[in-house]
Amino acid sequence: MKLFQKKHPSLDDEGKASAWLMLLPSIFLLVITSVYPFIWLFRYICYDYNGYTAYFTGAHNFYHMLSDGIFWSSVAHTFEYAGLKLLFIIPVSFLLAALLSQKILGSSLFRAIYFMPTVISTAVYSLIFGFIFAVFNGSLNSILSLMGLIHSPVDWLGNPKIVMISIIIVALWGGLGNYMILFISGMGSISTDVYESSKIDGANGIQTFFHITLPMLSPVIKVILMLAITTAFKDYESILVLTNGGPNNRSQVMFTYIYQLIFSSNVTPQIGYATMLSVVAALIIGVVTVAYLILARKLDDVM
Amino acid sequence: MNRSHVIYSKGTKAARIFIFLLLLIIAVIMVYPIVYIVLGSFKENMELLQGGANPIPTHFIFQNYVQAWKQANFAVYTQNSVLIALGVMVLTLFCTSMAGYVFDRKKFRGKEFVYNLFIAFMFVNVGSIALRPMFELAVKVHMNQSLISIILIATGTGQAMYIFLVRGFMSSIPKEVDEAAKIDGCSFFGIYWHIVFPMLKPILATVALLSFRGGWSEYIMPLVFTMSNDALRPLTVGVVMLKNSGNGAAAWNIMFAGATISIIPIIIVYTFTSKHFMEGMTSGAVKG
Repeated sequence: MKLFQKKHPSLDDEGKASAWLMLLPSIFLLVITSVYPFIWLFRYICYDYNGYTAYFTGAHNFYHMLSDGIFWSSVAHTFEYAGLKLLFIIPVSFLLAALLSQKILGSSLFRAIYFMPTVISTAVYSLIFGFIFAVFNGSLNSILSLMGLIHSPVDWLGNPKIVMISIIIVALWGGLGNYMILFISGMGSISTDVYESSKIDGANGIQTFFHITLPMLSPVIKVILMLAITTAFKDYESILVLTNGGPNNRSQVMFTYIYQLIFSSNVTPQIGYATMLSVVAALIIGVVTVAYLILARKLDDVM
Repeated sequence: MNRSHVIYSKGTKAARIFIFLLLLIIAVIMVYPIVYIVLGSFKENMELLQGGANPIPTHFIFQNYVQAWKQANFAVYTQNSVLIALGVMVLTLFCTSMAGYVFDRKKFRGKEFVYNLFIAFMFVNVGSIALRPMFELAVKVHMNQSLISIILIATGTGQAMYIFLVRGFMSSIPKEVDEAAKIDGCSFFGIYWHIVFPMLKPILATVALLSFRGGWSEYIMPLVFTMSNDALRPLTVGVVMLKNSGNGAAAWNIMFAGATISIIPIIIVYTFTSKHFMEGMTSGAVKG
């Protein structure tokens, strides 16, 4: 009898133990790749650490940051990059989504083509654009001069005035399809009945778009925007390959600068200082995200 | 329903043609870099260095591939890329299918806390600094000279989204299925192995594709881990490294061939599975 009673709870305990065991691989990887590095950040924040020896320097890293012109200009460039990228990528991908949600000849082929860059490595397509942008033998300059649009070769990646535009072009090419697919999926979830009734009421295309599609999509748009904002502020892989922050730090964003402080082979690593900047960079992105969420809620109240 | 809804319009013929042409022009721009690099990989280096607007080679040569494969180590890079991508895929399937099952089906203390930890770290991003402690750790356990550390880290940084996807799919499988098995005497793990795993196939196909793509595309992490070890580099790192090496101009043909080797396999996979890729992307982001 006693044995019988014991059997049930122990069976359940066995289930619990195997549940934890089955979670173990994922938890192990989470600890190694996320939790441990996050805690590690704060270990060297007050240290001067070059990879071999660490000296306690108190608040020196903090004061160094305040007077570090390259870092603050990289913060400005991060906002410039993210702002420009969002300004183009959101409306264009939204428009493409709206067009491709219609019955258009070849629309699923167009979708597949626009989405294709998402499967290619960012580093590799940035390298390819590096060839296309090359000053003397790049194909972009050749094509533009053939069309008579330019008379002398443009230095797409070396001219401080246009380097950011070139980087944005690559970001657009690489990210457009992703947001388009997200918008299409959101548009597909709107019930067709709504459109039927607006059609009966005699609404035209533009009225339908502004009075039905846009308001009904607004929760989806908010999620996509949030995703787009956080992604844009974190991008740096493409810039690392295209310009490595140059010319003269003109395309340096926060994370390319931090990368160079830790891993550049030309200078002594400043890992302690880089942890300080990483925390500040993460905070800046956090503040932007929260500001966006508050703004989105305010807009909700107004509309 | 044979009419569109999003922008309902009567659509004159001229407007439709205009829209079609616009879409076509954008499609050409999207495809252009790929066509340019693939065709360019068959050009002689002299022709590449001269440039010009014509993407078609004057004579097709295969020498660039031979040179890349034999002299520039691309055979090794390709092998590493395949191993990393397959390793990430298998490990991701193993970890996330179990985690998704446990998170959906088992109630125990601390579960939601652990799950939220996974989700929270999807949003906390401190950039490349996180690679430094991982690298030091790998050195300590003598794993910095092996692809295993790269596979583990790539899996770890990508798994949260896949756990989220599997959990979501799991919740659509009726609980009666596993309760019946439980009555028949199946253990918690047994239910997963014999019953749930086969039923998860559709979502695991998506996870397999996305994680393979993720492993194949990794750049910065393997770059940092193979800084001093050429023999462990995947294609992405190997081909970009050539650009930064001293004689970059002399190696354009090899870089074109290398870049082509790195994009063609994934594009071939994509042409057959584009629907899966798109569905995977959207179910992860918007419905959450």
